[in-house]
Amino acid sequence: MKKQLLIIPFIFFLFILLAFFYLLIIERNPSELPSNLLNKKIPKFETESLLKNERFISSKEFGKEKILVNFFATWCKPCRAEHDYIKRFSKEKGIRIIGINYKDNPKKTVEWLRVLGNPYSDIPIDKNGRIAIDWGVYGIPETFVINSNGIIKYRHIGPVTGKIYKKINLLIKDIE
Amino acid sequence: MVKKKIVIIISICLVHFFLNYAQAVEPDEILENSEQELRARDISKNIRCMVCQNQSIDESNAPLAKDLRILIREKIKEGKNNDEIYKFLTDRYGDFILLNPPFKLNTLVLWIFPFIFFGIGIFIIFFHNKKSRKN
Amino acid sequence: MAPSLGNFSLWLSLLFAISQFFASRKNKNLKFISIIVTGLLISSLISFFLLVYLHIISDFSVLNVFQNSHTTKPLLYKISGVWGNHEGSMLLWILVLTLFNYFIFKLLNKRNSIFILKTLEIQAFITIGFILFTVLTSNPFERIFPTQTDGLGFNPLLQDPALAIHPPLLYIGYVGFSAAFSLSVATLSLNNNQKIPWYIYMKPFVVAAWTFLTLGIALGSIWAYYELGWGGWWFWDPVENASFMPWLLGTALLHSLIVVEKRKSLQTWVLLLAILAFLLSVLGTFLVRSGILTSVHTFALDPSRGIYILIFTTLIGVYSLALFGSKSKNYFDNNYFTFFSREGSILVNNILMIIVCATVFLGTIYPLLVEVFTNNKISVGEPYYNSTVIPIIVPAILVMGVGPMLSWGKENKLKIFKKVLPNILLTFLMTFFIFIIYKSYSVIGFAGIILSFWIIFNNLLMLIKKNRKYSISMIIAHLGVGLLILGITGSSVWQKEKITKMKIGDKAKIAEYNIVFNKINEIRGPNYVALQGVFFVYDNKKNIVTKLKPENRFYPIENNFTTEASIHTNLFRDLYIVLGEGNSNDGWVIRIYYNPLVIWIWIGALVIFLGGITSININLKKLKILAQ
Repeated sequence: MKKQLLIIPFIFFLFILLAFFYLLIIERNPSELPSNLLNKKIPKFETESLLKNERFISSKEFGKEKILVNFFATWCKPCRAEHDYIKRFSKEKGIRIIGINYKDNPKKTVEWLRVLGNPYSDIPIDKNGRIAIDWGVYGIPETFVINSNGIIKYRHIGPVTGKIYKKINLLIKDIE
Repeated sequence: MVKKKIVIIISICLVHFFLNYAQAVEPDEILENSEQELRARDISKNIRCMVCQNQSIDESNAPLAKDLRILIREKIKEGKNNDEIYKFLTDRYGDFILLNPPFKLNTLVLWIFPFIFFGIGIFIIFFHNKKSRKN
Repeated sequence: MAPSLGNFSLWLSLLFAISQFFASRKNKNLKFISIIVTGLLISSLISFFLLVYLHIISDFSVLNVFQNSHTTKPLLYKISGVWGNHEGSMLLWILVLTLFNYFIFKLLNKRNSIFILKTLEIQAFITIGFILFTVLTSNPFERIFPTQTDGLGFNPLLQDPALAIHPPLLYIGYVGFSAAFSLSVATLSLNNNQKIPWYIYMKPFVVAAWTFLTLGIALGSIWAYYELGWGGWWFWDPVENASFMPWLLGTALLHSLIVVEKRKSLQTWVLLLAILAFLLSVLGTFLVRSGILTSVHTFALDPSRGIYILIFTTLIGVYSLALFGSKSKNYFDNNYFTFFSREGSILVNNILMIIVCATVFLGTIYPLLVEVFTNNKISVGEPYYNSTVIPIIVPAILVMGVGPMLSWGKENKLKIFKKVLPNILLTFLMTFFIFIIYKSYSVIGFAGIILSFWIIFNNLLMLIKKNRKYSISMIIAHLGVGLLILGITGSSVWQKEKITKMKIGDKAKIAEYNIVFNKINEIRGPNYVALQGVFFVYDNKKNIVTKLKPENRFYPIENNFTTEASIHTNLFRDLYIVLGEGNSNDGWVIRIYYNPLVIWIWIGALVIFLGGITSININLKKLKILAQ
């Protein structure tokens, strides 16, 4: 065995450790997963609308202006917690909010929005969760930022917090 | 920092009764055609439960896992083959959802290296053998 | 008072560890070092037992007790809860470290003083690292004001006897490897001009570490099997892998130490293995506690802790491996041996164990590497490990059957073939027989049964021959492996499952059994309430075999549910039943599993453990002779 080979374990070990250091320093959240649909067109869907008589057809609604899509339900506590931020978004100029109602009871949803306030310009109903699956949703709440060309630019898993609210606001101003 | 993470984890609104609430396929999900059902189970064992820690959707009780199990069975009944079903899922959730890493450019090292290690091992054994004959 | 005393004792142990480091460098007199080593052990004992005491009396002014305990928790779990959390487990680590430190010190005599003192210096450094980590980032004696009236409780999943002793056993393993590490680094740095048989010192520590690690891993799997509800016991979870990798290296190490002992070959290799086994143990600790991976097992996620552990690992790793790179050539030998010999078969074992370890390591960190380099996320799960690890283990098992029979140096192939021919025949006979019983044919099943009986019959042959050249502890441990493979094969390949909805009075059939759903009870435990199903199990002759009573428990303090499967075990199979969701009107979801040969997995692991204990005894005797 050549003597030079003996330094290999040292080099290998150093490499592995550097990789670990890097991972720690960039402060990644291992539970956070980037959307596979980033920079792709929104998945097309067509479904009932909660408050309107006509059906909600995605190809008609997306691709015209910036939209924030928020998956929510009345039975979801964090959705309740983030609702104020969603309402704040609706007061921002230049963005429209669409709330996809996930596996919920329509009557309860109507009442919930009546009591808490309705930030959504439209509320398509995802009765069995299939629309969410098409969007690669893990669980609610999840919020997507869509640009005026119908391209998904950002996805946040979990409730919108103060930090995320600021981040999304900046993003909305940046995108087209 | 720790507290914040805990808050986030609890906040993700998933009614998953902790991983231990037994293996999760329910009787009403089971397909009548046992061959199809077996296919569904096999595929499910290869699909990661995205909201659990290190479980397949076959084992997990999370709502998303159940939805995906039902979806897979529907696709099987529709006549889709395994590749099409996997593609449907990876299109939406990325390669992360596959527990068996696909053979791609970024997993080349992963799949090739065990063979390389094995080759090196065989080489060392023969090298040792050869040197011993010289003595 | 007690918390402050505990904290004081912890800082005191740090002081002792630092003193040990400097005292052993300066070669102070033995009496002085003896006081330090003893002081280190006692102060760590005191702080550990004080934490246990605080948990038992439920002192909720202590943050650790508040976060992890509750007045209604049963006493056993109040105690085991001490090490079921991150901070408390660090105290256990430290305790075991100071204990092994004391054992190393006990080996000190006039002849080996330079060697052992060097070892103690390195061990002190390691101990300082762990205690410093604990007091700076994970102090269990931290207080909480105002004092709470009761605690947050403790994960009901972890309130289990097997899981209670699982960590202490694992830590004996990791700390044992730390001793081997220190001995190796001491050997390398001293150039061994005194010709001390460092390997005789190392062996008992390695065997002890490996033996207890085996049992610790087995208990973790036993817990998973009966607690998690689907008969699984190994998931290639990153934290399981973190304990499996040191085990693999430990297996390689204890086998190659035999070669060093008997033939003075492979010394460089063993010195490296001893370093790597401990480095992997610490790296495993890093993976579990740093938040870099999510896993079912991870403790609290905290990157700052991760950075500390990583720095510590870097320091000891860089030093030891650089030292290895420069000094290990002094231990080169030019003994090349043919692979058809005892050394040869051990070398094959070592190579294969390393390949499995490297593969598991690759699989575990690969998702992280992909993230660093491509910003993508992938998963590496069970299918990957099954397809890579199993093909490598198979030749290792084949070699394991015949390897111990080979002579040192060179063996006559024809002679051995004649010896094992009856075993080959017996193996095939037994395989055929098993297939008649279980009536299920699969390639993997076939391979598994052949391998297991190949091991069992070869070792029985050696046992019967009563030849002194066959080590009895080896025979016992290898028999254990054969039984383990038997259990693994049976339970994986011939498992039957039935998922059905049952109302009270309904029947279900699985294998040759008829199961009747008798009733539902509501029961109450010390800190839970539960719904219990009662099932009568009948065999095909309509005799009652057993009553199975699975439960669904609710722990109100922790606001958590668990399912408790009900299992009936015998040597041939487990009958395993789980109560799912439901109600009296629609019925309940019932899962029934028929798991053949499962108990042989646990019996096999226990037999391996016994073989290891026997070996520790023998090796300790050798060490005593040396010390005189």
